[in-house]
Amino acid sequence: MLIELKDVNKTYNNGQPLHVLKGIDLSIDKGEFVSIMGASGSGKSTLLNILGILDNYDTGEYYIDGRLIKGLSEKQAADYRNRLIGFIFQSFNIIGFKTAVENVELPLFYQGVSRSKRHEMAMEYLDRLGLADWATHYPNEMSGGQKQRVAIARALITKPKIILADEPTGALDSKTSEEVMQLLGRLNREEGVTIIVVTHESGVANCTDKIVHIKDGLIGRIEDNRMHRASVFGADTIMK
Amino acid sequence: MRDIFTEIWESVRRNKLRTSLTGFAVSWGIFMLIVLLGAGNGLQNAFFKGGDQFASNTMMIGGGYTSKAYDGLKEGRRISIDDKDVKLIEGDAFATNVEQVIATVSTGETASYGKKSTSLTLEGNYPERQQMEKIELVAGRYINSKDIAAKRKVVVLPQNTAEALLPAFSQAQDLLGRHIKIGQFSYLVVGITKSDRMMGNNMAAAPFSTIKTIYNKGEDLDDITFTFHGLKTEKANEEFEEQLRAAVNLRHRAAPDDKRAIWIWNRFSQNLQMNKVGAIINVALWIIGLFTLLGGIVGVSNIMLITVKERTHEFGIRKAIGAKPWDITKLILAESVTITAVFGYIGMFLGMLTCRLLDKTLGQSTVSIMDDQIAMLVNPSVGLDVAIEATIVLIVAGSIAGLFPARKAARVRPIEALRAE
Ligand SMILES: Nc1ncnc2c1ncn2[C@@H]1O[C@H](COP(=O)(O)OP(=O)(O)O)[C@@H](O)[C@H]1O
Ligand SMILES: [Mg+2]
Repeated sequence: MLIELKDVNKTYNNGQPLHVLKGIDLSIDKGEFVSIMGASGSGKSTLLNILGILDNYDTGEYYIDGRLIKGLSEKQAADYRNRLIGFIFQSFNIIGFKTAVENVELPLFYQGVSRSKRHEMAMEYLDRLGLADWATHYPNEMSGGQKQRVAIARALITKPKIILADEPTGALDSKTSEEVMQLLGRLNREEGVTIIVVTHESGVANCTDKIVHIKDGLIGRIEDNRMHRASVFGADTIMK
Repeated sequence: MRDIFTEIWESVRRNKLRTSLTGFAVSWGIFMLIVLLGAGNGLQNAFFKGGDQFASNTMMIGGGYTSKAYDGLKEGRRISIDDKDVKLIEGDAFATNVEQVIATVSTGETASYGKKSTSLTLEGNYPERQQMEKIELVAGRYINSKDIAAKRKVVVLPQNTAEALLPAFSQAQDLLGRHIKIGQFSYLVVGITKSDRMMGNNMAAAPFSTIKTIYNKGEDLDDITFTFHGLKTEKANEEFEEQLRAAVNLRHRAAPDDKRAIWIWNRFSQNLQMNKVGAIINVALWIIGLFTLLGGIVGVSNIMLITVKERTHEFGIRKAIGAKPWDITKLILAESVTITAVFGYIGMFLGMLTCRLLDKTLGQSTVSIMDDQIAMLVNPSVGLDVAIEATIVLIVAGSIAGLFPARKAARVRPIEALRAE
């Protein structure tokens, strides 16, 4: 198993204690394309942040590739994030004062890759996502879909084992959303990257091969969706 | 390295006004530091000029009036230094420290040349005095041993005395090789020295033997000057002076601890004291300058804090994609050090320029104190050592200014940083 969670608990303690994850057990294999679906406030983002080592959990165990992820130093966590995980966020989270190509280069900068090498690689990834012409543009000159593709290129450039996407289509219209989801699907099939998408939209979840339902901080039903028939609206549409 | 500077440049470019305001505070701090130190040096150079004018290891003693009754004699008695005191100082008692002993006799006289005349102090001197007092010749030579042996009537005049004896606009050198009249006798002018503001302008030197004979001075001397060695500390000097005073006083039947009976002028310990005063002034100026600079540093620190707050979300992104805490710290530190260094250098450059300007203006002007023209500032400038010190101060200051904001930025957990807007 690439990812294994055993009885993971998380409580937020600012003001009123809020027990958000109440014992999550979850295994995700290498090369899976999974969505985590649930209502707003059900703890999806919390879970994804723990998976991405952006946040700590209180009790339980979390393994990536058999390595226990617990009590890491900030430095070690940063290193793991850099090498193992690529992030895609709802709000893109690309740096506004850097050009597309500079944004894509950044993870390699923190790996200590040389200037010319990382530029070359970033251009390559932008090209693959159809953004070669936009390399020197700043984010505010781009559409939402383009920005998200920049973010995807940035997530891919370190060749991570896992891609974590938190509502990646949340800020996009339905057509662009579909394109982004198809892009993720293709990446999963062609590169064999493990992709975990968090969403509250059934249409988005339907694009993935496996749907994990989360409710009130617990894992509910796990649906096999290789046939992509989960959405009542059909296989290839995302309704907004 | 280049990447760091690209990052800094991006950040600075986005915050031009803020950066330049902070930079101004830093520039101003360094500017003040340099100008203060430069002006301080100028003042010290002006007022302590005498300090390096003499061989620093000389002592001079002269006669005074007793301030205590002693050995059956009343106070207020005049003590005259004489030849036997020279013997005493040259003698075994002080042999470990004393090197060379010379004496002077002097008398007030009027000198004339043609129709012009001026008053001067005619001093009977030994050749060694030139070296001991670093007397600078403009032309000709100083008294030599042949003059002493032959009791020649030769004289070395200060520049302005020579000029006073010549028609207007003539050169002091024109008097070389001429005979002038001093008192009843005619003297050959053999040398012209620089006029000395500290020691008075009208000290003319003639051979010791000549003056002693002409004015029938007997054994009495005006003062005794000697060089010494082996007295390194202020305390050693004081002890030596006490012994010397006791010995000379006793020879003149004055109380050994009577400070007024003879006076001792120790240029070495005077230099030590001047240096001490100089050091104190320097420290005071550094403190003032550093406090001014501190304002700039607080400014930089504040700006960096605001920057950190504004960039929290960006730092969150960087952390999410693999920036380690040190990467973030480095970014902030480098930015604040760069800002302080660049603007500090501008301030330093302008400060040095201002010192130059001071030199060109105030440095050339003099104030009149008791008929003497005294320069207010002499060579107001800061040396390379100060420039290096200031650079170190800058880098340290920049680091301190960046340290707190940087640590703050590095500590924010990535998830919290990402949540920030
Ligand atoms: N930092 C936090 N502090 C306190 N409560 C939080 C924090 N983050 C999320 N929550 C709360 O935890 C619950 C789950 O949040 P989240 O994981 O973001 O849900 P989802 O992504 O499924 O909408 C929500 O009730 C939310 O208000
Ligand atoms: Mg969420």
